[in-house]
Amino acid sequence: MTATSAWSWRSLRLAPPLLPLLPVLAWLPVLLVLPGLSHGGGWDLIGQFAWAAFNPSLDPLVLGSLLSGLGITVGIALLGWALSLALGLLGGVLSSRTVWRTLIGSALPAELIRRLLAVPRAMHELLWGLLLLQLLGLQPVVAVLAITIPYAALVARVVSDLLDALPTQGLEALRLAGAPAAPALLTALGPALQPGVISYGGYRLECALRSATLLGVFGLGGLGTDLRLTLQSLQFSELWSGLWILLLVMLALEALLRALRQRWAMPARFGLTRRSVGRGGREVALGLVLLLPLLVLVAAALGVSPLQLGQLQPLPPFTADWPAVAALPWLSLIGSTLGLTLLAAALAVGSAPLLLLLLAPWPWGRVLIQAVWALGRLWPPPLTALLLLFVLQPGVLTAALALAFHNLGILGRLLLEAEESAPMQAEEALVAAGAGPRLALLYGRFSALARSYLAYGAYRADVILRETVVVGLVGAAGLGSLLLESLSSFAIDQLIALVAVYVLLTLMGEDLSDRLRRRLLAA
Amino acid sequence: MLAVPCPLLNRPNFPVLSSSPDRLLLELCSIRVPGRSAPRLDDVSLQLRPGERVALVGPSGAGKSTLLAVANGLIRPEAGELFWNGAAPARSRRRRRLQQALIGTLWQDLRLIEELTVQQNLNAARLARWGWPRALLNLMLPVETAANTEVLARVDLSADLLEQPVTALSGGQRQRLALARLLRQDPLLLLADEPLAHLDPRLARDLLDLLLKQASGGRALLLSLHRPDLLAGFDRVVALRQGRVVLDAAPSGLTGQQLAALYRSEA
Repeated sequence: MTATSAWSWRSLRLAPPLLPLLPVLAWLPVLLVLPGLSHGGGWDLIGQFAWAAFNPSLDPLVLGSLLSGLGITVGIALLGWALSLALGLLGGVLSSRTVWRTLIGSALPAELIRRLLAVPRAMHELLWGLLLLQLLGLQPVVAVLAITIPYAALVARVVSDLLDALPTQGLEALRLAGAPAAPALLTALGPALQPGVISYGGYRLECALRSATLLGVFGLGGLGTDLRLTLQSLQFSELWSGLWILLLVMLALEALLRALRQRWAMPARFGLTRRSVGRGGREVALGLVLLLPLLVLVAAALGVSPLQLGQLQPLPPFTADWPAVAALPWLSLIGSTLGLTLLAAALAVGSAPLLLLLLAPWPWGRVLIQAVWALGRLWPPPLTALLLLFVLQPGVLTAALALAFHNLGILGRLLLEAEESAPMQAEEALVAAGAGPRLALLYGRFSALARSYLAYGAYRADVILRETVVVGLVGAAGLGSLLLESLSSFAIDQLIALVAVYVLLTLMGEDLSDRLRRRLLAA
Repeated sequence: MLAVPCPLLNRPNFPVLSSSPDRLLLELCSIRVPGRSAPRLDDVSLQLRPGERVALVGPSGAGKSTLLAVANGLIRPEAGELFWNGAAPARSRRRRRLQQALIGTLWQDLRLIEELTVQQNLNAARLARWGWPRALLNLMLPVETAANTEVLARVDLSADLLEQPVTALSGGQRQRLALARLLRQDPLLLLADEPLAHLDPRLARDLLDLLLKQASGGRALLLSLHRPDLLAGFDRVVALRQGRVVLDAAPSGLTGQQLAALYRSEA
């Protein structure tokens, strides 16, 4: 009965449930190298940091300053998000093949606009922030624009993809009946587009809050600035007061958006259940009407005005030394950037399902991993990197760990959401036949989740490539480090070359991850 | 007549992993499962001896699936007692899993793992008895092919299907694979929830004959079904209506009138 057929390596084929766990093997070399990178000097500081989590500062002065910082961060996030959504919707419609085909019979303008929008998308919001800082000086509008520009391009891409994936039979029927192009498009595609756009728009608000905090870490104002200052001055109790406040706000926002998604029956981001057209159109419209005066108030309170865009800072004289730029160690810079991306992506993608598998069946396990993931999401990667520097030497690995922790938080939550919405029947059947809870989860639910999770992981890898710039301050971490350095030393020629290489690399990465995603989902 | 009293035996406080002719394989005593407006099961008692083949009949919503879910441990009743092979469900998780491995269920929706191969699905039935290394190996390499070939042959399926994905199988093949998985689990108590629904008459009869054949050598079968014409071959028929047992008799003693009354609309 237990006879096992002759095995050969040729018959080795990994079944879907194992695929999401495969990247976790990246931990093996990391654990081997880690002791060599540790300098051990700062463990007492890490201990103080961990202890401070339970002893946050309740000093009214500290809390007042943190709350005012939080107000700026939330305001920046809200304005950047709203502007990017409006511009992104417009960009999405303009880069939709279906729209152009209906309007002029050719999709060529859509292709051109898509290519154009790829450039602002390829640059991380931090890079936009630092570049705009040079042009406009330190003012809140910089952070708002830094979020708006790349986010609008991202929203445009998602909206155009959603539009082009909609069935066009209804549209064709209206056109054949003599309806003009624009009203036909609006009638046939508008309602079907609504749930996807609102669901994704909500998700972008969560991202905008994280981005606004991150921009603050680099000095663009708000709570992020306070977090960095308290960390650098080792005021861990004050740091934790800020972190707990941020955590509360973020979890409240996530819960609100989740409740709205459920109320309006919108699709989960990578759930297995495709939901139908959303209801509650009136509520959505009312929300938008209420949002407008709120945005005006926030802009007035932050002192953000379009007039500030005209007040350009005088730039230092531009001197180019292209031979010196060409002599930079490009191959090693690109290599370490890609290595950093792949390592961080593998650690994040693999660790989320492993942790879920190990801890979820344990009664408190779910709460514990949700708490760790929430911290990972809100904790900006450069701060994790700074914290890791207490015990590790600067380098690619330290940067990868910081990025992996942040992305683990994002991937983990999505995995948990998808896991909760995945069908339970196969897992139940295994439990009823006596399988343990972990094996039942692995066989029963991971099987169904594996491909969509990995497809999201491929998208995340592409986001991580963009994010490598934010851990540049840990040093020796590829293009990002040099980019931050050339920004602070006004080496404009080097900066232009580095941004161009970054953009090129991100576009290639995006193309690669798109192909991988399509293959995974088609299999 | 119908509420079978639960005999107060000296019950072992450990799982019993083999059957014995004088031990009940399944014993439900005054089971109650609450529902939204009315209880899904109300004071239900039922006993199954080794070798017995019992058909569970009743209109939709009578509580047949709930009773099977209580019998296989998926639903914990609000009141009443449940005994598997003479022992109450163990408190220790490991022991409980060993007990559950002796109860096999053929689900109405089959519950095959669509993303895995036929062989991996068959081996999934052994997870209760396997450790992690073998469970992981099954997701990488062909494992226990001989045993799987044998159970496939018992349900008239070719061994060529072993490495096929489940999605490549026809409806009839999937039904047989689900039965083969049940056989691979090798349970003492076989539960089947409407396995014959959506099957053409010939396929339904074939599958039922296969199931009835399994309830021998110390095993027992409890099968819910909707079709009175398929009751031949069962030792007992237990009828449920509105969550209560309303009839427990040999099929030969059942009259057409009794069956008609069972399915008559509540209104």
